[in-house]
Amino acid sequence: MEEHIGKVWNNFLRKKTDRAFSSKEILFDEKSRALKIFYHLMGGQKAQELHVTDKRLVSRSRTLLEKISGFGSAFYLSWQDERALYLPASIAYFDDKELNQTTYFWLTAMAAVFHTTRGSYVQRNLQASKQLVERYSGFAVFYEKAVRRSIEQRQDMRDLHDKELLFIDSLKLETIDSNCRYSIDDIYPFGLWIYPPIGKTTLLDEEEDEEEPQRAPDSLDKTETLEMKKQSNQMDDKKESDGLLMFLPDSLMSILEQVNVDRSEDDSFDEDALYNAQDLDEITLGRKKANLSARIKMDLDVQNNQSEQYPVGDGHFIDEWDYKKETYLKNYVRIRPIVDINIEEIDLPKRLKKAAKRVQNEFDFMQLDRLKSSNLDSGDDINLYSYLEFKSHQNRSLHPNRFYESFYKKSRDVATLMLADISLSTEAGITQELRIIDVIKDSLMLFCEALQRLDDKFAIYAFSSLKNSNVRFHIIKNFKQPYSSKIRAQIDNIKPGYYTRLGAAIRESSKILKKQPHNNKLLLIISDGKPNDVDRYDGRYGIEDTKKAILEAKKLGITPFCVTVDTEAKEYLPYLFGRGGYTLIRDGKKLPKALPQIYINLTKQ
Amino acid sequence: MNHNYYLQQSNEIELFEAAASMRLPILIKGPTGCGKTRFIESMGERLNLKVYTVVCHDDLSAADLVGRHLIDESGTYWQDGPLSKAVREGGICYLDEIIEARKDTTVVLHSLADYRRVLPIDRTGELIEAHPDFMLVVSYNPGYQNILKGMKPSTKQRFISLSFTYPTPENEQEIVINESGVDESVAKKLIAIATDIRQLQDSDIQEAVSTRLLVYAAKLISRGFDPYQACMHSIVGSLSDDDELLEVLERLIVLHFPKTES
Ligand SMILES: Nc1ncnc2c1ncn2[C@@H]1O[C@H](COP(=O)(O)OP(=O)(O)OP(=O)(O)O)[C@@H](O)[C@H]1O
Ligand SMILES: [Mg+2]
Repeated sequence: MEEHIGKVWNNFLRKKTDRAFSSKEILFDEKSRALKIFYHLMGGQKAQELHVTDKRLVSRSRTLLEKISGFGSAFYLSWQDERALYLPASIAYFDDKELNQTTYFWLTAMAAVFHTTRGSYVQRNLQASKQLVERYSGFAVFYEKAVRRSIEQRQDMRDLHDKELLFIDSLKLETIDSNCRYSIDDIYPFGLWIYPPIGKTTLLDEEEDEEEPQRAPDSLDKTETLEMKKQSNQMDDKKESDGLLMFLPDSLMSILEQVNVDRSEDDSFDEDALYNAQDLDEITLGRKKANLSARIKMDLDVQNNQSEQYPVGDGHFIDEWDYKKETYLKNYVRIRPIVDINIEEIDLPKRLKKAAKRVQNEFDFMQLDRLKSSNLDSGDDINLYSYLEFKSHQNRSLHPNRFYESFYKKSRDVATLMLADISLSTEAGITQELRIIDVIKDSLMLFCEALQRLDDKFAIYAFSSLKNSNVRFHIIKNFKQPYSSKIRAQIDNIKPGYYTRLGAAIRESSKILKKQPHNNKLLLIISDGKPNDVDRYDGRYGIEDTKKAILEAKKLGITPFCVTVDTEAKEYLPYLFGRGGYTLIRDGKKLPKALPQIYINLTKQ
Repeated sequence: MNHNYYLQQSNEIELFEAAASMRLPILIKGPTGCGKTRFIESMGERLNLKVYTVVCHDDLSAADLVGRHLIDESGTYWQDGPLSKAVREGGICYLDEIIEARKDTTVVLHSLADYRRVLPIDRTGELIEAHPDFMLVVSYNPGYQNILKGMKPSTKQRFISLSFTYPTPENEQEIVINESGVDESVAKKLIAIATDIRQLQDSDIQEAVSTRLLVYAAKLISRGFDPYQACMHSIVGSLSDDDELLEVLERLIVLHFPKTES
């Protein structure tokens, strides 16, 4: 009998085992974006990420549970900390797809309102549930059904254990207060609830959790350096590697993919493969006290072994803003301009031909709003109004005899500098075949084709950085160069670099734009993430420096505008660029076509 | 009697009256469908002034505002535009979406919008002094993204400015009920839906649900339309074309109004 309960329960909440309702399973991956939007809809923090949760050991109940079930006591329960909400990778609690799916949305909503609740975790869960049930009649129907089904599923087990009774009792929303005597550890884990962060050794840490954890400043991270070769196994400490890898930055992810490390199954890295990966020198492992969100940073050796990348001079120095000291660090950053030489000129790739044609057609159409000049001595058409003016004037001899009009194409008074972020993270894939960098390259080419047609002045630069000493500023096309197959080759030859010292790149771009004689100056930034570098240029420091650089640009009369393909709607974008100063392209594949459109909208007269 | 129902959001009625008595022009900023036009219509009635509305667009020429010569059988004659008419006879000239107009069109406003209060008409050589009851009101939606547009500071700084946002939930509920006649429980749900969706602005959608859309949905419902369907067609449909976003919005509607098949 006890074994029976255990089986049902493990099936109820365990991943990777045979589930009773696996045919009705809903996967997190399929719903993640919808869940994220839903989280915002429910009032959740925009910067919060959504991830899959690792399993947790339910330690206090462990012995008891083990007695009941004969299994271990690991569960995939939802929880959140200051940076993310963690949900099960799949849900198949019920014999009903719609119910399982709604469970995801329910959990997301619970997490979003959780900060308004007080008391023990049991009370907080009940309060949150109550809020949702009262506010959304749809959730009331769901909750009633989900609870009833859960209890029915339990009752298959004939005599109920004490804990089961407690469980059923604890689901009654009318009894929030009397339920405060229960600790969340006393009650069997329940799939519709939010649990304390997984890093806690016990589920019962209620006093501590009354307040939402404060976001610890990044500088408090303890960072230790370790040599890959000798200590790589240290990365696989008490916690399982799939959980750890969940927090890897994209940049490392892509390297790991390159070297075929299987991140979800293996317990440890494929050491050799990783070690053999060129350019990999050192890995730094940072970790916060309370949560397990370890971050791995990599320092990559800059080996300038690509002979075609040609540094133009030794570079020059520019300032950086240190928000802590509230001062500029004079000549702190070295900009190294680079051009690619010895590369073969290329035609517009076939895959872009159709799109280019379409964009150009659209742009041709735009030229229809040419400028009209009236009151000409001679011209293409008679302007009826001028003629009427003429006719209606008593003293015609004084009225100018000019009532023709002509259309002409006015060159637009805009200079645009396109600044592309080509940090390592652009190596990450959008789809299996397509990396962000590919999309950026396609976008640049289409953009050129389009602007070419408009006769607008533009330049293209790309950048990546490796600490303040090395901000690589690639000249793809300057304002003087005409667009040609050489420029296409430059674009085609772009390769992902290192990090994103965005502030420096913006300052350098502003300097160039400032020199242009046009009245309207647009700095169009394409980026796939937030400012960061391996040194302190990360988190707040990087954001504040970038913000400063943007303000400086605005003071120079430049309009900065950011187009980002970062799928997370980051909260730093409005802060950096202001409302209306950026666009998020959610589907990276759409960037090439969106970019000319964005440009048009920004410069429409 | 008041034909145009308008529910005050903060102190805009008093401000408008004060500006009117001091003959100062007004600039109204606010997102689409938040009640700007309705406000001006109602102020026109309140102050007993005729409202001349001109919706600006990039083809709008100064002549469209000021007037032009026309022909009839006896020859040519001068026809005042809406602006000149209001300037001569008194009334509110309301230029909606002023940003859409070209800059050379809006310069005709300069001399009207400061202490001079005169309108020069180049074509006839006339200089019209504004009627004491003439009032200039312009509006625009600041969510707009365009570097070549945007108002010149010299134009902007001639106005008293009023910022509109969507009404508070209590006010919005009252407006929706008043405009459509739906019952309170339905109105509450519509407002709850709007409040949630507005949280997506800036991150997931461009423009949030306007009061106008809520009124549309409520009107459909009070005419006996199924609430789920009414919301899908008025609120959800117009917000986005993105499938995942639509899925989430639909889910939100279903949380309030049970789904029915169309
Ligand atoms: N304060 C209010 N009192 C009464 N009705 C209101 C109020 N605010 C909004 N409404 C309702 O919202 C509808 C839309 O308002 P209105 O047409 O004035 O919007 P708008 O701000 O002019 O929008 P747009 O910028 O698109 O022209 C009105 O028809 C009215 O039903
Ligand atoms: Mg209007």
